[in-house]
Amino acid sequence: MKKILLSILIIGLAAQSCTKVNENVYDKYAAAQFYSTPAGADDALANVYAKITGTWGSNYAGRDNCWYDLNSFSADEQVIPHRNTGDWQLDFAQLYTRTELPSLGIINNTWNWAYSCIYSANLAVSELTTAKADPSKIAEAKVMRAWLYYLLIDDFGDVPFYTDNNTDISKIAQEKRATIYSFIVSELKANVDLLSETRGGTYYGRFTKWAGYMVLAKVYLNAQIYTGTPQWAACLDACSKIASGNFTLHPATANTAAPLGNTYYELFGNVCPNDETIFALYITQNVISGNIYTIRSLNSANGTALIGFNGWNGTIIPGDFYDKYDAGDIRRKQFLVGAQAGGVTYTETVSSLIDPGAGPNEGIRDVKFFPVPPADASGESNDFPVYRYADVLLMQAECNVRLGNTTAATPFLNQVRQRAGLGDIAAPTLQNVYDERGFELNMEGHRRQDMIRFGTYLLPHGAAPNIVPAGAAYQQLYPIPTAALNANTTLKQNPGYPN
Amino acid sequence: MKKVYLFKYGLTILLLICAFSVFAQKSTFAGKVVDETAQPLPGATVRVKGTDKSTTTDLNGKFTLPGSDQSAIVVTITYIGYDTMEKVMTANEPVTIQLIPNQKALSEVVVVGYGTVKKTDLTGSVSNLGSKDLNPGAVTSPLQELEGKAAGVNINQVGSEPGVAPSIRIRGFTSLQGGNDPLVVVDGIQGNMDLLQQVPPSEIASVDILKDASATAIYGSRGAPGVIIITTKKTSAGKTSVEYNENTSLDVISKKLQLLNAASWTQEANALGVDASANHGSNTDWYDLLTQNGVTENHSLSFGGGSNEFNYRASLTAINETGLVIGTGYKNYIGRVTATQKALDDKLTLTMNINSGINEAVYEPNGVGNAAFHSNLISQAYIARPTDPVFDTDGSYYRDPNVFQYTNPYAVAKTVKNDVNSNELFGSLRADLDIYKGLSAGWFGSWRKVDGNTGFYEPSSSTIQYAIDNNGVGNINNWHNDEKLMDINLSYKHDFDKKNHFDATLVYEWQAQTYNGDFAQGRGFVNDLASYNALQLGDISKVLQGDISSYKNDRRLVSFLGRVNYSFDSKYLLTASIRRDGSTVFGVNNKWGNFPSAAFAWRITQEDFMKDQHLFSNLKLRVGYGITGNQQGIGPQNSIALVGQAGTVFFGGQTIPNYAATQNANPNLKWETKKQANAGLDFSMFNDRLNGTVDVYTSNTDNLLFNYTVPLEGPFLTTNILANVGSLQNRGLELTLSYRVIQSKNTTLTLAGNASFMSNKVLSLGGNIEGYNIPTNYVGLSTPNSYLVVGKPIGTFLILKHSGVNAQGVETVVGEDASGNVDQAPQSKYRVDEGQALPKYEFGFTPSFTYKNFDVSMVWSGAGGNKIYNGISQDFSMLENIGKQNLLTSAMATGIHSSPFGSDEWLEDGSYIRFQNLMFGYKVNLTNVKFISALRISLTGQNLAIITKYKGLDPQLNTSDLGAGYDYGVYPRTRTFSVGLNVILK
Repeated sequence: MKKILLSILIIGLAAQSCTKVNENVYDKYAAAQFYSTPAGADDALANVYAKITGTWGSNYAGRDNCWYDLNSFSADEQVIPHRNTGDWQLDFAQLYTRTELPSLGIINNTWNWAYSCIYSANLAVSELTTAKADPSKIAEAKVMRAWLYYLLIDDFGDVPFYTDNNTDISKIAQEKRATIYSFIVSELKANVDLLSETRGGTYYGRFTKWAGYMVLAKVYLNAQIYTGTPQWAACLDACSKIASGNFTLHPATANTAAPLGNTYYELFGNVCPNDETIFALYITQNVISGNIYTIRSLNSANGTALIGFNGWNGTIIPGDFYDKYDAGDIRRKQFLVGAQAGGVTYTETVSSLIDPGAGPNEGIRDVKFFPVPPADASGESNDFPVYRYADVLLMQAECNVRLGNTTAATPFLNQVRQRAGLGDIAAPTLQNVYDERGFELNMEGHRRQDMIRFGTYLLPHGAAPNIVPAGAAYQQLYPIPTAALNANTTLKQNPGYPN
Repeated sequence: MKKVYLFKYGLTILLLICAFSVFAQKSTFAGKVVDETAQPLPGATVRVKGTDKSTTTDLNGKFTLPGSDQSAIVVTITYIGYDTMEKVMTANEPVTIQLIPNQKALSEVVVVGYGTVKKTDLTGSVSNLGSKDLNPGAVTSPLQELEGKAAGVNINQVGSEPGVAPSIRIRGFTSLQGGNDPLVVVDGIQGNMDLLQQVPPSEIASVDILKDASATAIYGSRGAPGVIIITTKKTSAGKTSVEYNENTSLDVISKKLQLLNAASWTQEANALGVDASANHGSNTDWYDLLTQNGVTENHSLSFGGGSNEFNYRASLTAINETGLVIGTGYKNYIGRVTATQKALDDKLTLTMNINSGINEAVYEPNGVGNAAFHSNLISQAYIARPTDPVFDTDGSYYRDPNVFQYTNPYAVAKTVKNDVNSNELFGSLRADLDIYKGLSAGWFGSWRKVDGNTGFYEPSSSTIQYAIDNNGVGNINNWHNDEKLMDINLSYKHDFDKKNHFDATLVYEWQAQTYNGDFAQGRGFVNDLASYNALQLGDISKVLQGDISSYKNDRRLVSFLGRVNYSFDSKYLLTASIRRDGSTVFGVNNKWGNFPSAAFAWRITQEDFMKDQHLFSNLKLRVGYGITGNQQGIGPQNSIALVGQAGTVFFGGQTIPNYAATQNANPNLKWETKKQANAGLDFSMFNDRLNGTVDVYTSNTDNLLFNYTVPLEGPFLTTNILANVGSLQNRGLELTLSYRVIQSKNTTLTLAGNASFMSNKVLSLGGNIEGYNIPTNYVGLSTPNSYLVVGKPIGTFLILKHSGVNAQGVETVVGEDASGNVDQAPQSKYRVDEGQALPKYEFGFTPSFTYKNFDVSMVWSGAGGNKIYNGISQDFSMLENIGKQNLLTSAMATGIHSSPFGSDEWLEDGSYIRFQNLMFGYKVNLTNVKFISALRISLTGQNLAIITKYKGLDPQLNTSDLGAGYDYGVYPRTRTFSVGLNVILK
């Protein structure tokens, strides 16, 4: 018996030293340690930009299936038809024909993308504040967050609102659109003047003071939609702040070395030029996201002939949108119709969008973002201009027209028209401004918002035989995605949509 | 008279003396005792019946009995593990006596965790298979030897890709994402499923599969999915053997899908209005080009010998498999030596085991083809149009630029390299010491090292879009696993009196695993000569973030465990165990868990009231309950918030690495808890001719591990968190029967079979995570239309109902609105519950027959009650796709041009019965051959027939994880014909 006890004692002693089960971390950063350094706080700020640019299924623009696709395909400027060769899912055509359901992946992706960016912005704000970082950096994160909330209320109306990640979920309420609007305005007002005034260089692709005022201008421009009260004068104020940054329209001159033979298209090239660009997404294919807008549109053989890679035979421009362009408009060069390189002939008429789908060569194609290297069959390296000065001029024209100040509006509108090779309009109407916005800013993610503001969004559109019938008022908001409703039972679906 | 008498008697005495002396010198009873393979059996006891005269056989199995005055005697020969034999011996006529192995003895001892138990004393549910029970034929993995053999043990081989072992599930799924692979124990060394590839299939002595919680609770936080214990062959003391096993098979394709040939493709494409430019006028049978007949060889040489104090066994095994898909193959070499030495007056036993394995595999490339149809290479052969040429006019592989991401499958097979090599080494030492009167102590240590590397190269000539975009992509991947285990045990046996027996075991165990490795990738190669062997020849400017990486992590598990067995009068048996596990991978709030169990068995036939009946020779009732855990789903560092590399970002005017939160913290992360109750009945009837076991069980898995989607709010850094929330219920019934129909001297016929029925149900999914209510339900799985829904089985198919085809050739379903749209959300009321992805029942039927030296055995196995979503049928039935791909011949009849849905048109019954194995064996008589003591030749056919309604290639698809029940193209299944040879040298 003594031996037993002795043995147990020995084993017990041996075991004592071998009962530790604490975890070793060799190859990762523990979150708390990482962010507590100044470099970590800076990385938290950079990460917001990484999230905004994103990649497949989670991005503002450049790749697919997220914010840009949601806000573009539901308007009248572009659509991806199902092809009768079995290509292309219906998601894009459903958005165009207003037949999408709350479970549509693109809606869910957009929601998740925006909230993941907001989370990162919240984290950046709190980490930069803790690290006592330069106030301009904290302001930058706050402005980004305000911008993201603006995008959310624009698409979804009343949305969950929080600015501190350490908030109990049950206390995160679905705030009214107007309430969040007020937050955005006050947050921007408090922070934009702290931002850098540097254009390009180390501030290329970042929210500068000018980008901050641009967001404020956009929020005021659509204030009537968000709150019922227009803010045209306030929008003009914000626009003049941007104008004080000495932006000019990028020249449009014929040049064989330039994309599509005109320097205008440098605006959508490898790096967006500083003279006009206010805020752009920096893109390098495979390194930082990618730009698919041209390869997605071209068909296979045309893509090979034009840029050396097989196109995806996707995006087309509806005939009614194309037909509005003046033949002399340099901006019409971006569309391909008729006989093309590679022995392909694109027809303007599209026989069917969904059932049974369009023929392989049907539809006008778009090469606004004429591919720049590095490029391959899954994308190009064109940067994406989120905001540029031409938009500011058109906002100034619009607000002046809306305030009854046609004379003041005229030079703003005509600057844009002149660059495009068009004649002046002496006394612009709202219709003139609306059309010009379509010509100038198509394929850049603005169309839906503009159509709603000008009251055209719900009207029938499209070219025969694919006329999309008038929509119902509720469709000016997207449904809250089904997955979000499932994850948070306190969320209320937007009116008109099933849960 | 006196003289006469004197003479008379004197002569008689003289004669008698002479006679005696003659008898004493010449009239002996001598012989030799051999085993079933005619190998000598030293140490067998030979006793003259009715006397106390006895002797034992020498090293050569020979014996000589002292003379007697009889001309013939009867001897009884006894040897452990063999039937006692009586033999009449005639004086001066040496005989060779062959003993017959005792069938009962082979399985008399069952290996349970940390010990063994007599089968009669077993209280838990354990399937025990001896080497003779294992499936014969072309076997490359030990698991293949178990298919159809044990109730509740599902062995699932999907396709026949060389080097791809089947999966094993014991009593179905008990975890969603927590892992369902059983713990593998090979001669005391614990490991994951990959440990099995170091076990030569021909060197297995027995396999014990612990099924119920009372048996597996001794393995604590890793016992829930069951435990498979393999004991390898040892050489018996005193025997010497040299044995060679060989099996060579021809592997042919068992079934092909019927796709259009060039002529019918042309005809159908014309009829469907496909532009003539899509027809390239060739006649190519892509499937034929990509496949071949395979050959599988399995060689094994083993030898061993020794005495009572020392014995050893060494073996060398080589497995070489050529796959059905060109270029694929697998080689496995395993060498092992095990030696046992006794010391300290036989009180100390030392056992050492060294095993080294080499694996070389060439797998078919996966993830090839366009984004819409990413699958394995062989499925690309279905896609390729039969009118496409293999080569372009310039001799390069043909590629059609008009088809989005066109892939030439032959080019892929010929140019892509996908090599996986690994070297495995383990060693172990066991020391057992008898201390004092039933008290013994033991020490066991094992160390396993696995070093592997993969090489992958995809040249632009492969026609794969990604490779063309990059002008060739190559990568190498090295990994190093280090697994150590040490345990110290103390056990004590005591018989209080003749009726009360008691034994107890205490174990301390320490395990540590370290994993590290690295990955490097190169892109942009000027030519393909160096393949993946010189990544530096690539274009360094094309290197992306993520092309270089390395990792290291480790985990430790510390355990204390104890078990008590108590038996009373051999009638009542009680087993109780407890284990306490602490692991580094658990969250800080839950570092230690306790796993108790208890089981009771009643041997009814030992009762007095059963004495006079002769119907039952054995009747035993078992009941058990235990709590087991599962921690497979938790990796190192899963419980802490981490920041990791997240691509690159443009910031501050330059491209810099980006860091982002990659994981949420979960300080409460812990094992899954499975509570299982089991009741079983073992019976033997009609003089042991009918043997059977029935088991019923019910289990609940709580604290289910699941990767929950959480909002990016509150404490959550990323949208996913691994947490223990839901619970799952499993219930089942298992039945095993065997009946010896004929049992005579020359002939035996045994009918054996097993069946298991199981059901599972998700009891809850969502709930409280880190203080937040996370409702989770209707979780879509990777199988289309398959969901996790509370109250329903795992992988329930909620699917739209096919209703026809409209005028445009578009498939219609029930519930469409005016615009042809239907709510496809998981909760949509138009989704109908049409069954489950997992089988409801499985069975095996294994009859065997012997006649003299001839034997035949069969294995029929099957499963059913499950549905399969036939993605291949869907993808290859859409008529509108004919311009860019081939279609099934059955597609024409459906009239479906396109479909925005995945409807129940493609959902099929997955039930099947497979004629898995047929073997003929013949033992050659070799009494007069000098060097060979035994020779057996066998012929085996595998996968000879299948009965199923399933229209796809094979209904045996993944049933081992949440991706169950989906056919998206599998490696073809072989039908094999093999010849086997077993030679034992003298």
